[in-house]
Amino acid sequence: MDIWATLPQLLSTGITFGAIYALVGLGFVTIARASQIINFAQGEFVMLGGMITFFLLNKIHLPYPLAALFAILIVVLIGFLMHLLVIYPLRKASLPILLMATLGASLFLSSTSALLFGTLPKALPPFSARAPFEIGNISVSPQSLWVLVAAFLTLFSLYLLSHRTLLGKAMEASSTDPLGADLTGISRNLMIFLAFGVSAGIGSVAGIFITPIFYVSYHSGILIGLKGFIAAALGGWGKHNGAILGGFALGVLESLSVAFIPSGYKDAIAFIVLLLILYIRPKGILGSPFIDSRRW
Amino acid sequence: MFLSVEEIVKHYDGVRALNRISLQVRKGTVKGLMGPNGAGKSTLFHLISGMESPDSGRIWFQEREITGLRIHEISRLGVGRTFQTLQIFGNMTVVENVLTGMHMRIKGGLLSSGLSLPWIRKGEEAAMKEAKEILERLGLFGRWKWFASQLSYGEQRRLEIARGLAAKPDLLLLDEPASGLTYPEAKQLAQTLSRLKEAGLTLFLIEHHMGMVMEIADEVAVLNNGELLAEGPPDVVKKDPEVIEAYMGKK
Amino acid sequence: MVDQVHKEFRRRDLLYSGALWLLSLIIPDPQLHYRREYRFRKRDLFYLLTILLLPLIWSDPHFHHIMVLGGIHGILALGLTLFLGYAGQISLGQAAFFGIGAYTTAILTTRYGFPSFLAFWASALTAFLFAYLIGRPILKLKGYFLALATLGFGEIFLVMVRESPRLTGGVIGIFDIPFFSFAGFIFDTYLKQYYLIWGVLMGLVLFSKNLIRSKMGRAFLAVAASEDGASAVGIDVSRIKLGVFVIGAAFAGLAGSLFASVMSTANPETFSLNLSVLIVMMVILGGMGNLYGPIAGAIFLTYLIDGLSRYQEYSLPIYGVILILLLIFFPDGIGTRLRIRLIYLISYWGRKRRREKVEL
Repeated sequence: MDIWATLPQLLSTGITFGAIYALVGLGFVTIARASQIINFAQGEFVMLGGMITFFLLNKIHLPYPLAALFAILIVVLIGFLMHLLVIYPLRKASLPILLMATLGASLFLSSTSALLFGTLPKALPPFSARAPFEIGNISVSPQSLWVLVAAFLTLFSLYLLSHRTLLGKAMEASSTDPLGADLTGISRNLMIFLAFGVSAGIGSVAGIFITPIFYVSYHSGILIGLKGFIAAALGGWGKHNGAILGGFALGVLESLSVAFIPSGYKDAIAFIVLLLILYIRPKGILGSPFIDSRRW
Repeated sequence: MFLSVEEIVKHYDGVRALNRISLQVRKGTVKGLMGPNGAGKSTLFHLISGMESPDSGRIWFQEREITGLRIHEISRLGVGRTFQTLQIFGNMTVVENVLTGMHMRIKGGLLSSGLSLPWIRKGEEAAMKEAKEILERLGLFGRWKWFASQLSYGEQRRLEIARGLAAKPDLLLLDEPASGLTYPEAKQLAQTLSRLKEAGLTLFLIEHHMGMVMEIADEVAVLNNGELLAEGPPDVVKKDPEVIEAYMGKK
Repeated sequence: MVDQVHKEFRRRDLLYSGALWLLSLIIPDPQLHYRREYRFRKRDLFYLLTILLLPLIWSDPHFHHIMVLGGIHGILALGLTLFLGYAGQISLGQAAFFGIGAYTTAILTTRYGFPSFLAFWASALTAFLFAYLIGRPILKLKGYFLALATLGFGEIFLVMVRESPRLTGGVIGIFDIPFFSFAGFIFDTYLKQYYLIWGVLMGLVLFSKNLIRSKMGRAFLAVAASEDGASAVGIDVSRIKLGVFVIGAAFAGLAGSLFASVMSTANPETFSLNLSVLIVMMVILGGMGNLYGPIAGAIFLTYLIDGLSRYQEYSLPIYGVILILLLIFFPDGIGTRLRIRLIYLISYWGRKRRREKVEL
């Protein structure tokens, strides 16, 4: 079997995955920019996006676009609830406590999903034509293109939000200088509240766009969440374009690795990348506004 | 030369914090390091104590080059320090803070401590005695069982000095030891430092408290914007026009 | 008249003091600050006796079974408490070292016929080595990143285990691990295993107590309080962190070996992130800076998990909710809050009664 022949195909798969990781990573970055919290439940938002859309589509028989829309709204609501019930009560807590709390929330969301929606993996129909088309000797499914579109649209909107709108700037201010933000009348808790909603929304969008290609099940959340985080850290922790770059880099790396090592180890690649980044260059490829490498 | 700093240059993200600074501290003296905020004084201390490495230049301590050594290695050579931002161990009691200061002088490793071998216990007893003596010297003995976080700010500053002394250093770097102290507390501190000097300790201190420095320092160096403006006895430096300009601004 | 009032007070005071004394015995050290264990007190004797006599008094085998598991969790929590509770570093990888220990014992005893006593120490050694190799690069990280790195290590470990069926039996695991035996004595009932495990635990507690009371314990706390301050007094911070990490891992390795010898099987499902999270919860609930607290936390959470198992598929969501609630209400550990609240309640009650009496 000629490895080099399969490479282009793997590359294209990698880019698709990469776009998903990028989206998930953007979710992490949004919350971290507002609050310095790393939300371990981010992956669950992705999972829930796909799950709830499936439920609305097949059990309530809503039309596809409407189901997707409502699913996004519901997940955003869940994000808000998570802030109100878990993050806000722990706003003064120390780091290990917050970490554990987001892990607990992740556990709750994934197990409740198993409870409500069953443990079988679910799939969604693709957005447009089913048949993949050929570019050269690579077959690309139209859904993959949708995923790319989604990733870049989200990046663009987030960029507008944080750099052009007052709200976005307020969110960043509350993260980098909480006291200053308080003094200028920005409610830090409100900013974090909104950040959770936005992240949940991004996550659910990622979930909806990816489920037509790959199945979603109650336990997909954790792994995809971690990989999204690794993507964000790889590209440059805290930067939007870092998450995008890291996402694609990770997706391609992971995909290409299948050509060289047994597929069971594919998941380990992401973690090895994580350990490498943390050890060699914690700021990530593009550098990070949050990590002080002076005393690292 | 006891402590010697040679042509030290340090940049932070493109900003030049120290520009070819050279100065010396003689054994058994008290040297003051002064200058407006941002002059590079704390940076110099960071470099001497090993928290950072200079971009170029060398640092010598007791005829040994210490440039680039790690913090704990430099500490073990006999350099102690206190911090501007008060780094006491709030999660321990007062006496334990001092005992931690004696870490390098108490024998034992992880395994031997875990097995509580007899010589470990003897070492602990001796250390405890000495720790209490140090606390006595600095007037903190009455509070030895208290948690360090329960002390008043002035007492915490004294505790940090006590901890620094516990290591029996040859040179003690004090970064703004009087900051945040009330006037009587600062006077008390000055007396304590004088006593330490008489006992043979060499002190190098950063301090804004003009009065205190002038009183106890044998020599003073003044930095501004990473440059050494003047170095010499306090009375002489006090009158140096560049120094006055740095502090007061141009007429 | 006045004498009568005085006598009433004395009896009541006695009652309160008695209640408080009893409570102080059974509730682990309250932690308002990180408290240090100074000497062996009467309370330690009380705990020792309870541990020794409890299973004889209460001979329900289910109870023994839970306490066996609780003891193993206790060893895991003890190892983590040195790293997290004292040195202030987060590790989400305890389950991985636990697994390393379990698999080492499993492989050595089933395939190479090692006696379990030797396998026991070999497990500790293997976990020690892995921790040493992993620790050097990882421990430079702080906070979330350290937690994530240990998490990553845990996940890599699981993937490796699942993908090496020839070595570890892959997803299925290893079966028929012989019971722990020493000098011809086989620990095959829950009761015997109870004493084995709690015996090991008590030995490890002794070791940990000695560590805490020595300069090393102070070094751990120093690293947690201020790394700069610690370095300034000559403490090699990276070496200390590595040392605690490795000790915690060795404890986990021992626990793993005992687990394999008790459960007779080892499979990857057990050594998941969920277990690491559980162990961290035990330390948090027990109180950081506390040695006995996490062990009590281990018993408590083991019981909780067992109790929840009857709810089948609802058990995980409920567990998630309970986890979050516990974190919100007991961030300093259950012992602290409980004792403060109880003291407050009792003294309030006392003051109320006193007021009533006076308002005769």
